[in-house]
Amino acid sequence: MQVRNSFKLALLKQMLLGFQLSAVSSNSMSVPERKNAIKLSADAAMVFARGSTRWTRGLVAGLSENSNNEDLLRGILGKKYERLSLPCRSSWKIPRSRKILKRCLGLCSRRKKATATQHDVKSGSTLARRLVKKRIQVLKKLLPGGESMAGFSLLDQTLDYAVSLKAQVDIMRRLLKISKASNLNK
Amino acid sequence: MSSRRARSRQSTSSSRITDEQINDLVSKLQAVLPEAHIRGAERVSAAKVLQETCNYIRSLHREVDDLSERLTELLATTEASSAQAAIIRSLLM
Repeated sequence: MQVRNSFKLALLKQMLLGFQLSAVSSNSMSVPERKNAIKLSADAAMVFARGSTRWTRGLVAGLSENSNNEDLLRGILGKKYERLSLPCRSSWKIPRSRKILKRCLGLCSRRKKATATQHDVKSGSTLARRLVKKRIQVLKKLLPGGESMAGFSLLDQTLDYAVSLKAQVDIMRRLLKISKASNLNK
Repeated sequence: MSSRRARSRQSTSSSRITDEQINDLVSKLQAVLPEAHIRGAERVSAAKVLQETCNYIRSLHREVDDLSERLTELLATTEASSAQAAIIRSLLM
């Protein structure tokens, strides 16, 4: 799964806008302030490029907690800021999906027991289920807005988020490369 | 709406999420992970996929942090960044 070029382009544009708005180039900023502005620009740009989904709303909610971030967030997101800040209507995914998810993920490990198992038959599947449960808890903390997600939505949003994050990293790497190159030409 | 969900323990097949859908999602996650090109089509346990996904997201977070730091140093001078902005804008137009 990959992002479209239009996504990357939008990300880059909004990130640069963020740099301009927060005046990262001005000497009046301290190093930590500048780094925060860059990170905030990168995240807000990623949200802008992706549009409305659960993790982007979660991310906006998280970033908005710091009132200092509001101006830059509004500057980059524009009209989208209000829309993304609206309370999320609960997902149509039924609560049972959590059970189905756990059963399925446990089941997958149980099927594999025939091939590779270090544990005895009985504890194998329970251990697998416990591991899966543990990892889902970790995942919920890593994913913006993940605490309110469960089951299918959690996995679906994780995939979406991972792909978007990768694109963010790619764009930042390229920007760094271009910036270095242009610096050398001075 | 939530009460309706609570009452209908037996959900209709149209709103039910199948095991297959979840398996499909786990496969897609596996495909996105950095080890995917090494593994190929070999299926890995869901627990492993979840673990690696968590690791992957964490490493991406660290990369963003690191890249932000390096960009901070580079964008420190007024002259440099306005030139960069001009270059990049010209690339985008």
